[in-house]
Amino acid sequence: MSVGYVTVQWNRHKRVYDSLVGGGVALYLALFIIAGKTLYTGAHAISDEILAIRALGTCAYLMLHVVLCTGPLARLDRRFLPLLYNRRHLGVATFLVALAHATIAIGFYHGFGNVNPFISLLTSNVNLGSLSAFPFQLLGLAALLILFLMAATSHDFWLKNLGAPAWKRLHMVVYLAYALLVLHVALGILQTQRSPWLAGLVGAGVVIVAGLHVVAGLRERGHDRRGAQRTARVNGPWVDVGCVDDVPDRRGMTATVGGGERIALFRYDGCISATTNVCAHQGGPLGEGRIIDGCVTCPWHGWQYRPGDGQSPPPFTERIATHRVRVVGRRIQVDPTPLAPGTAVTPARIEEDHHG
Amino acid sequence: MAEAILLIILGYAAVGAGFGVPFLLRGIDRIDPAARGSPWTFRLLILPGVIALWPVLARRWRRAPRPEGAP
Repeated sequence: MSVGYVTVQWNRHKRVYDSLVGGGVALYLALFIIAGKTLYTGAHAISDEILAIRALGTCAYLMLHVVLCTGPLARLDRRFLPLLYNRRHLGVATFLVALAHATIAIGFYHGFGNVNPFISLLTSNVNLGSLSAFPFQLLGLAALLILFLMAATSHDFWLKNLGAPAWKRLHMVVYLAYALLVLHVALGILQTQRSPWLAGLVGAGVVIVAGLHVVAGLRERGHDRRGAQRTARVNGPWVDVGCVDDVPDRRGMTATVGGGERIALFRYDGCISATTNVCAHQGGPLGEGRIIDGCVTCPWHGWQYRPGDGQSPPPFTERIATHRVRVVGRRIQVDPTPLAPGTAVTPARIEEDHHG
Repeated sequence: MAEAILLIILGYAAVGAGFGVPFLLRGIDRIDPAARGSPWTFRLLILPGVIALWPVLARRWRRAPRPEGAP
């Protein structure tokens, strides 16, 4: 949260996450190279450089799959939220591994002539009309440039200074990078390996990424459709959005009213509060978060707001919109019109249930 | 053609690097108060992005209000 920028906002959770990413990458590279040296010997032996290129390339490709699958997985099952929490570091690590792959590949294939390696890369193969001889390296280069832009603008400074909508649009280009990399890998395999199981793995990756996005999207759409059917009562602004028992203690729940922006409901200390579902940081789903230290805590990056007034605890200054809320019996009713960010709203007290 | 593309990219990056030094020393504090007093490692970390997106930041710096007492 923005009081003053620090280089990296590390905490214990992020240190563990980053250690696992670093260790995982090192382990993958070591296993890949050992397997390559063991399986291919004699006349079929693969040079160290090519092994390194393949190890780094496949590692970055796998990491990008994890990056892309994390979002929908976390929407489908809360147990994946810890993966989402520090996804930006995984994205930067993916770029660094891809950069190492590209550096060795360009150096190895284009660095030993008297032509500039980049000029050689751009001019050595111009078979743009041929599928079997297509210069797939150019697709990888384009994807690497996109991954660079993602990594270079991953700090909160960029989010604030480009604005959340522009930053989000910029980072959605990662899907274009993925499409370019699928073609880069598929055409590369077609030209050098001709192995059906490798092509099958690439296809399986695409199916998993696309499938998870479709399933998560359908679930979100169903949620919004149910919410769109809720409308205000004739005698006032109050809209019934559910039962207090639907909201787990010290957790959130989302509700959609009349097709508008989602509202996040939180239950804590025998009360219900309502805020916008959109985190001021990256638009994370606050309703999927928890109450930690008395504050609504975004599941994506841990930004916090007081549930009663939508303000970040001092010294932070972020604010989110709040909603008027009341509890009638066991039913929660909200006024779908958002109040100005930071507006204090009296939490609705939950009446004791004397039935059981 | 390839040489021209490379020259354009290198030229753009060179201007970005030239812009980046004064921006990270002074301009960043003008466009974003949260950057005041930030460590040099943070400024170094965002340098690649500054080189890539320098036209956006140059426009913001030009439009940023001048600090009190500045000529």
